[in-house]
Amino acid sequence: MVRSAVKISLPIMFGFVPLGIAFGLLFQDLGYPWYFASLMGIIVYAGAAQFMAIGFLSAGLGVVEIAMSTFFLNSRHMFYGLSFLESFGNWNIRKLYLIFGMTDETYALLTTIKVPDGFIKERYYLYITLFAQFYWVLGCTIGAILADVLTFNTDGMEFAATALFVVLLIEQWIIVRRLLPFIVGFISSIIALVFFINHMLLTAIMISIASIVFMRLIKGSQS
Amino acid sequence: MNELDYLIIVIIVMALSTYFTRLIPFVLFSPGRESSILNYVAKSTPPMVMMILVVYMLKDINDQSYELIYTLIALAITIGFQVYKRNALLSIVAGTAAYMFFVQI
Repeated sequence: MVRSAVKISLPIMFGFVPLGIAFGLLFQDLGYPWYFASLMGIIVYAGAAQFMAIGFLSAGLGVVEIAMSTFFLNSRHMFYGLSFLESFGNWNIRKLYLIFGMTDETYALLTTIKVPDGFIKERYYLYITLFAQFYWVLGCTIGAILADVLTFNTDGMEFAATALFVVLLIEQWIIVRRLLPFIVGFISSIIALVFFINHMLLTAIMISIASIVFMRLIKGSQS
Repeated sequence: MNELDYLIIVIIVMALSTYFTRLIPFVLFSPGRESSILNYVAKSTPPMVMMILVVYMLKDINDQSYELIYTLIALAITIGFQVYKRNALLSIVAGTAAYMFFVQI
């Protein structure tokens, strides 16, 4: 089960390690000891929010503003949990960790993969989530330690995240085979881009969920 | 408050804030109480979110430069491999390698 989880989580590695390295490199510019980059990867574990934090820290922003900004930046994750209400099992440490580890990438992967026969779903999810976070912490640490020495040219490696989402989009199509959610998602993205470009992700997710709930209710009242 | 204290407080605050966003749905909705509308939302969210994430990743492409062309090539390679080989890792590595090649030359 562990080997299968490593294999299926490798695409996340290709996204997280270079992105984590980029974070570590930038974080080192602040002049703190390197292990704080690792610490952020371990207890905050949020890509976009950690990059945002670099700006906050160098500006010396207030703690309340930082708490609010982090909450709004990550509030899309509120909608991610809806897909896992039943599949994370009973309340225990494992479930608390699976919730903690719900990043864009793990969400995308866990909602797309099929758990192999004979595997306990919650444990399989746990391994994948653990490996994903390990890749992220590894990247953050490498970047922070090697800030002075790193010579490998990683320009363009950020495309790995785009490629991962494109691959999972294709896999979603193979699973779902209904055009409607894809169209709703696309139109919501365009609306959000035009009107709310600074909060595009969250707005698009809220518009799309509101739209399908609305459509479902209309359909329900007709039949 | 010295600088390290500030950093540690910021990290703790961000950790709590992030965890809070991820925890909310699990606290608000208890499983088992079947709600058809919630089920429908849960089932439709992954394809919608995946679509949105792809648009989000591509939104900053500069369409006045070569970036548009090589992004399209890298996307075509990724999609081509995924449709014909169904191997996620291969598709991602191939697309990313192509993209890095164009960025760095």
